[in-house]
Amino acid sequence: MALRATLWALCLITMAVFATWQLRGGHTGIDADILSLIGQENAAPNGPQTDIATVRHLLANDGQQAIFMLSHSDRDTLETAATDFAGRIAALDGTQTITLPRHNDNRFADLMALYGPHANSLLSPSDREKLANGDAETLYRRAIQNLYSPATTLSSQSLKQDPFALLPAFLSDLGAKLGTGNDVIARDGQFYLPVMASLSPDLRSSGNDQKWVADANTALQSVTDATPGLSVAKTGQIFFAVAEATRAQSDVQRIAIIATIGILVMIGLVFYSPIPLFGALLVVGSGLLAGLAAVVAIFPAIHAIALVFGATMIGISVDYALHYLVLCSAAGSPTDRLHKIRPGLSLGLLTSVIGFGALSLSPTQLLSQIAVYSIAGLIAAYCSVLFLLPLIPARDVRPSSPIRKLHDGLQAILGKTFAPIRVRLIASAAIIITLALAAFLIPGNNDIRQFGHGNDALISDAGKIADILGLGGSPVFIRIDGDDPQNRLETGKAVRHALTPLIADNRLGGMIGLSDLIPSITRQTENRGLVTTGLYDRFGAALSNQLPVNITAPDMDAGYLVPDEDAAKTLPEITLLHSGGSDIIRLRNATDIDAIRLALADIQNVTLINPPTAISDQFAAYRLWAWIALGSALGVAAILAVLRYGFRTGIFVFAAPAGAILFAVLGGYVFGIDQSFFTTMALFLVFAIGADYVLFLAESRNSPHDDDTRLAVLLSLISSVLAFGLLATSSVPLVRDIGSVIAIGLIGAWFLAFWMTAPTETNHNTQTQNQRGQE
Amino acid sequence: MIPIRRLIASVATAILLTASMIGTARADDIPAPATIGTEQYLGGSFTMDRHLDGFEKPLTSNGDFVLSPARGLVWRTLQPFPGTTILDDHGITRIDDQGNRDELARGDQFRQFVELISAVLAGNWQPLEQRFDITRDTTEQGAWQVILTPKDGSTIQNQISKITATGTDFVENVRLEKPTGDHDAITLSDQALQSLPLPPEFAALLTGTGQ
Repeated sequence: MALRATLWALCLITMAVFATWQLRGGHTGIDADILSLIGQENAAPNGPQTDIATVRHLLANDGQQAIFMLSHSDRDTLETAATDFAGRIAALDGTQTITLPRHNDNRFADLMALYGPHANSLLSPSDREKLANGDAETLYRRAIQNLYSPATTLSSQSLKQDPFALLPAFLSDLGAKLGTGNDVIARDGQFYLPVMASLSPDLRSSGNDQKWVADANTALQSVTDATPGLSVAKTGQIFFAVAEATRAQSDVQRIAIIATIGILVMIGLVFYSPIPLFGALLVVGSGLLAGLAAVVAIFPAIHAIALVFGATMIGISVDYALHYLVLCSAAGSPTDRLHKIRPGLSLGLLTSVIGFGALSLSPTQLLSQIAVYSIAGLIAAYCSVLFLLPLIPARDVRPSSPIRKLHDGLQAILGKTFAPIRVRLIASAAIIITLALAAFLIPGNNDIRQFGHGNDALISDAGKIADILGLGGSPVFIRIDGDDPQNRLETGKAVRHALTPLIADNRLGGMIGLSDLIPSITRQTENRGLVTTGLYDRFGAALSNQLPVNITAPDMDAGYLVPDEDAAKTLPEITLLHSGGSDIIRLRNATDIDAIRLALADIQNVTLINPPTAISDQFAAYRLWAWIALGSALGVAAILAVLRYGFRTGIFVFAAPAGAILFAVLGGYVFGIDQSFFTTMALFLVFAIGADYVLFLAESRNSPHDDDTRLAVLLSLISSVLAFGLLATSSVPLVRDIGSVIAIGLIGAWFLAFWMTAPTETNHNTQTQNQRGQE
Repeated sequence: MIPIRRLIASVATAILLTASMIGTARADDIPAPATIGTEQYLGGSFTMDRHLDGFEKPLTSNGDFVLSPARGLVWRTLQPFPGTTILDDHGITRIDDQGNRDELARGDQFRQFVELISAVLAGNWQPLEQRFDITRDTTEQGAWQVILTPKDGSTIQNQISKITATGTDFVENVRLEKPTGDHDAITLSDQALQSLPLPPEFAALLTGTGQ
């Protein structure tokens, strides 16, 4: 016994050291971004992607950007402040690049090197229309004027490559398509200057995101203090994620502390001794520790929601401790007492592991983390009960304990509700049927926007920045699928054509796609033809007369501009308009989604994607999966129960946790809690704890320690409701919903555990009290 | 994506900035160009020789111009092909000989350009000192000369390598050298300061009603 205890204690110490090293050393980060843990099962390297995979790809790119919007009534003051601020942000660890207006002008040479040789293949829509309509003379006159204009990009080199000055018009049109960027913007007497920071991809996973945000806020405060009249706003996924993580961590700490104190007080009121408190803490602590160590060992980052669930482990693992601790010392040696509860404890653990095991097969890392945390934590708590608690001196429950009195009172009330076997069978059947119907009929709501708490200041800032930059409207984008890149570019051109009328009447702010940066070969060939016949054939000689250089028609066999790696080196933006085997068209300020969908209806291989909808759909799919997994776990539990207890009692035992789930579902529905994927996941906890209750009672039924077990189950209920009920006070809606559903479900689990395992003929309360009196 | 759009705008800005060098030089210890009041405009004629590297003969043009700190710059080419370039707080606009307007650039930064012109002509060198090293001298003929060289690291280096401006009462010659080896030589003449309003044909061009 002592050897096993020593070895287990060493294991716990090792896990503590390891978990501390992982978290404190930054080897494992804490992530609060829901998106970071979903949809990864869809990450196909090539070929058409699912909507959620594309959304993940785009948001991952966008998520590496932080935007600060500085504003002041004086432009020079603003630019000075922004330059100072940009320098501070650039110096932070985790900042890759910083972008200010006019900071990338040296790209001009690279841009001309890329586009210059293809100038005759690149036409702005306006120039193309003129050539197509036979109005080439306008372009010729423009070229002549360009030769003598004080404002021109003309050079000896551009004259050779682009004598008709077509490229400036193409680039100017491209600039208009790209929309407002990070130029200084003037509005209502105020100047606005966006400072854009690109962040290291590993900033979040390395756990340095909180430090970066703190340092950025310090820099922001410094520049604000030093510049009277300066206003600032900021946005970016990193700010939301850190705010959410901080809030979740705060909630977890608060809940863990209050729940632990509450449980300690409860145990103190039962035993009037600190020794059982120590035993309970030992089991709870070992569960938390092992769960944490398992998660940090397997995953590079822990999700904040998994941490919250980890805190709820207190409510489960304490059940195991209480199950042992309430046994009176007269029941025998520690080994004897352990033998009395071991079957129920083992069955409870097995059932919970089956339930959480179904979770571990989940397609999302978040659920996998919860499953790993729970399974490891419960096994550790189980081991602590077996190896450590027997070493603790036994303390009996005091007859004068107020909780004992409460227990007796509740037993008396419960005794009046007990029903005959036939009624219980009918009730069991009704539970199973109603649960199946509820799963199908109660509508789900998996809208991603309801899950987070939402930081009011950040939301306000984001809205302000979107408004200034003209990036409001729905965040939709278009994905173009197809195996052939040139076909995708052609499709992109068709999309541009279809949506141009919507841009003209302001139902769409703008759009940019790969085909805008790199026209298809078909389009380039057409352009060359138009330029040759419209300009070179008609006006080449006339232009030559004005220039000391011979003008020759474009070579129709020359190479084409294609979106290859070389082009991407000059135009890294290409990678942002490409995802997997698909091209992306980004839309700005899309206010009429129906009109956009209608305009795209006849174009093949085009998908309009709304990220919030795609994410919500993904959660809806996960919710369905969760119900299937829960049903499977219930099925396995039913088989185990029937094998263990026979058909009739087995059905009763099975119906208790099933009824608890039903209670949670209906209770949540009645109280207006949205039935989301996450509340469905909470039902796994209801199942696991509910199974513990009924198994403990079923295993101890008709045994001398039956009453002790009933008290242990009541204590478990109090501790669990305390822990999960506190979750219901969380400021994060997702956590709040989960806590509420579990707290409701556990009350049902407690009642049904008693009701389904009640004796059939005698007054059970009197019986147990008599038994206790005899002892 | 954003840098491309800004790049286009900044190229235009760079060009505008070089154009703004016309009539900008003044030093504390040498004669200075006349200051244009906010209620005045400067009018005159120009000849521009555009020398392209590798080409023997320059592209020569001439015409007239009007510069108003309050309204902007109108650069009207008369020979060899009529055409007008307008630089104002709306951006850069070209108008061909048939009155077709072609907006080359728009944006708030062009408002800054007009403000820059006004500041320079008022003898305020500060806006240029941020981007250029400025040396001032006098020529043998007693005219002042200002040489503007983009500061190291300045992005304008990609478009301009050196600007030399000389004059007496007004800026009379500007030589704009580019990194490509090309340069523009601009001669301004018949300049005079006059009070607003602008002549109707110029005023109409700036308000866009002249098309």
